[in-house]
Amino acid sequence: MQRSRVRPHPAALCCMSFPLSLTPFMSSALTYLGPPFNEKDFSPPRPNSTALSLPSAATRLELWHGLENQARLAQNQKAYSVLLAAVRELARSTLCPALKTSLLHFCTGLDGLLGSISALMTTLGYALPPPSANMEMRPTMNDFAKKVEGFWILRELQSWLWRSAKDFNRLKKRLRG
Amino acid sequence: MYVCFHHPDEAVISPQDPVLYIGSSLTATCTLSPELGLHASTLYWTLNGISVSSSAYSVLSPDTLSITLQNLNGSQQQSGDNLVCHGADGHVLAGSCLYVGRPPEKPVNLTCWSHNTKDLSCKWSPGGLGETHIQTKYTLKYKLRWYGREKECEVYNTGKQRYSCYIPRNLALFTPYEIWVEAANQLGSATSDITTLDILDVVTTDPPANVQVSRVGDLEDQLTVRWASPPELKDILFQAKYQIRYRLEDSTEWKVVDDVGNQTSCRLAGLQPGTVYFVQVRCNPVGIYGSRKPGIWSDWSHPAAASTPSSERLQSGSCDPKPGEQNSTLRRELKQFFGWVRKHASGCSGMSIKLYDQWRVWLQKSHKTRNQILQDDNS
Repeated sequence: MQRSRVRPHPAALCCMSFPLSLTPFMSSALTYLGPPFNEKDFSPPRPNSTALSLPSAATRLELWHGLENQARLAQNQKAYSVLLAAVRELARSTLCPALKTSLLHFCTGLDGLLGSISALMTTLGYALPPPSANMEMRPTMNDFAKKVEGFWILRELQSWLWRSAKDFNRLKKRLRG
Repeated sequence: MYVCFHHPDEAVISPQDPVLYIGSSLTATCTLSPELGLHASTLYWTLNGISVSSSAYSVLSPDTLSITLQNLNGSQQQSGDNLVCHGADGHVLAGSCLYVGRPPEKPVNLTCWSHNTKDLSCKWSPGGLGETHIQTKYTLKYKLRWYGREKECEVYNTGKQRYSCYIPRNLALFTPYEIWVEAANQLGSATSDITTLDILDVVTTDPPANVQVSRVGDLEDQLTVRWASPPELKDILFQAKYQIRYRLEDSTEWKVVDDVGNQTSCRLAGLQPGTVYFVQVRCNPVGIYGSRKPGIWSDWSHPAAASTPSSERLQSGSCDPKPGEQNSTLRRELKQFFGWVRKHASGCSGMSIKLYDQWRVWLQKSHKTRNQILQDDNS
């Protein structure tokens, strides 16, 4: 595959300076789930559902450091694709109207972020991964299990937002250099 | 590629997601998967993060522990109370969401009003104790009295005003509507009494426009109030009657002038000289087409202010040094006033007592806004 020599437009990199913050509604989401979800250090087992079938944000430092631009971007792209669908479903099933609105609003931000990542990958000549098969085969979960899944979606979201900020800093340095 | 495994649950709680009446009891069981190799006697339960005393437990078999909860309180959060079965080390094995509440009671105090006959807004209160603790749906329904299909209101408010709904269009006049509210949740339902009304009987409109207050020549005890009728009234062929209220600047007591009729000006008399008064006007569309009932009063207009002339050429004591505190308050106010003038009036050439009065109204309004913002923040 031919490596593109095109420098990405500075604007594409700029819109990845994270305007997305979970803090505004993180605590109201946890309050909505109720104790013990909003207790410090609470950690239920991580479910293995399709909503959580995303690459782990956690990775060893030397592995993260050595990631090629394409792999780095592909991991982000895959992660946010899964997270966007998951947060949308979370919003849909939320009973509290104010929280529902906040989550939907956040999805708009995530959608924008995903668009920026895809645009950057295209500019750099990287193929976009095919969209994953729609996760319609969801086993029926009881409400508590759905809460645990929601809890983990928010946790993964937090980890990825934290990690992506560093990913994009690294990308900026490597693309400028 | 990501393969989805279906891990067998470590344990299963029964019942899952039950809906219960407040005050009822519940016996739930936690059944362990044999692969875990745990014994039921090592488990414990929490409800909303708080451990439940083991006196409520019962070991039914080596892999099943039950719990009996009595006299349940209404659910703590809308998403359900979290009943969790834990291993000895605190590990979460399984959970179930409890929805504890009561059926809704008949909604009451259904009130509706129409803005210029164009739309219909309604509000009501949940009946009885109000809080059902579980998700309850309120539907406002309406139909033309002697014919017509039942329709549902679609635009509901949320938050503090969630017991209200708005019908934006397609409303008929001259024929009464029947309106009611249906409340339903998983424990039951209830319907309010039917309210019958004709749109023309519940019309409200905007407050009068351009309210102005001015002196009557040199008369010390009078002020004239003038206003314009709200423009839509002409369109909907209503006449209006008006009401005026006024108060002293520093007072909270309003005096109301009721018999204003449909004029657009009025003279206030019996006022104190040399005093600033705040005045507001509101409007009530008076029915035609034979409707005897008055409409609904509009909001009060924005306050307008003016001061009555003072009989004394020189304010007594104005040149005398006032006792310390008063002096600094007045001076501070004057400083603020000059600052405002510089900003809002073009230089000092427009300086007049009228300007001072306008400033005092602005001051009151911004105090009100600041307090309003504080109030809204606290709600």
